[in-house]
Amino acid sequence: MPKIDLDFKKKLTRVEYADFLSYCYQCGACVGDCPSAKLSPAFNPREIVLRVLLGLAEPLLKKDSIIWQCTTCYTCQEVCPQGVRPIEVITALKNIISAQGMLPDGISASVGIIKDTGRVVLVSEAINKRRTEQGLTELKPVPMDELNKIL
Amino acid sequence: MKYAFFLGCVIPTKYPQFEAVARKSLPKVGVELVDVEGFSCCPEPWNFKSYNIMAWLTIAARNLAIAEEAGLDILTLCSGCFATLAEAHHILEDKPELKEEVNKRLSKIGKKYNGTISAKHVVQVLRDDVGVEQIKKSVTRPLENIRVGVHYGCHLLKPSETLRVDDPADPRILETIIKPLGAEVIPYAERLSCCTGACQDEEMIFKFRYNKLQSLEEAQVDCMTLVCPACFEAFDLGQVMLNRKLEKKFNIPTLYYVQLLGLAQGLKGEEVGVTRHKVRSPALLEKLN
Repeated sequence: MPKIDLDFKKKLTRVEYADFLSYCYQCGACVGDCPSAKLSPAFNPREIVLRVLLGLAEPLLKKDSIIWQCTTCYTCQEVCPQGVRPIEVITALKNIISAQGMLPDGISASVGIIKDTGRVVLVSEAINKRRTEQGLTELKPVPMDELNKIL
Repeated sequence: MKYAFFLGCVIPTKYPQFEAVARKSLPKVGVELVDVEGFSCCPEPWNFKSYNIMAWLTIAARNLAIAEEAGLDILTLCSGCFATLAEAHHILEDKPELKEEVNKRLSKIGKKYNGTISAKHVVQVLRDDVGVEQIKKSVTRPLENIRVGVHYGCHLLKPSETLRVDDPADPRILETIIKPLGAEVIPYAERLSCCTGACQDEEMIFKFRYNKLQSLEEAQVDCMTLVCPACFEAFDLGQVMLNRKLEKKFNIPTLYYVQLLGLAQGLKGEEVGVTRHKVRSPALLEKLN
């Protein structure tokens, strides 16, 4: 028996911009134009919203969840006649996965670099050398004391 | 026209040639780029937003506050930076309670975001603030006979309700600013498809990119042009990786829009950094020089 979490919907309705999901009437417009759904029939934004509404989102809350196939292209949001913003529902689900410490390794590494250095790419001597060669100034470190205080 | 130049992370580290050519070519159309100290990652709107929306919004607000202190709108070359900063600005204006919460955090470092500036992508600045006539005036060597396939990517246009740049179903902004350079914009079937930067499924990524490149090849373009470093990586390095898996070999060079601008203003292929790209086309270089 699948586990039903009747209160799950409330978790998302409290997230800004994911809070329109109750307006979904399951028309499937989001599926027709979704580039991921075209290549992977298992990825279905309509079904993702439905699972959240029914409290059946547990299979989506995993490190290898189908939701990581989303390209975040926002096409579903553009075509939704009800203003549901399936992509914000997906992002909210990703935040829940993240809070459980289950982000995919690549994403977790990328987030870690930003939290450590303030940039998503590590600045090396080679990078600064390439910049100087092209007449650009060296990159200064990001003031991490400020970032740490506000996070 | 003065703007705070928001470099982001990927362009100044991996593709400094785009920054270098922007610093040469934008002043020629009347754009003054001001370097403001203290910016961090925007932060990027895929992975970091997946990690924690509130952390994403707070760091974005700090960047916006720095530009606001300098009294300048932001200009960025990157669609990711643009999407984050423009969306964060929109959210903070739309949700006063979130703005209050974010400003409470910013007060710990003596900053505050009031919402008086905007973040603009360079193509928006060129279309709306500079204008086509001014671009045309700066052209000394029209890119005649160059067939360009345009790649819009997603985060320049969508969500359109927030970003308000162009109609995502039928955008024209890139065509509008390429036309004065003299190049020919070639329509192709996959013009609006995504680079798949955020998708975590390798097989799907290859299929997406194959479809796009196949469509560009059929349209017989000399190059594709785009406006986002994530998209650039997907079709430059990404094309090399795709070619390794295929029997056939794609050879579709990818140029950033500002490189096309620089070329039309008389810079040589080497000077705009085309020779630093992974996918090179001697035929294109010959046409350009």
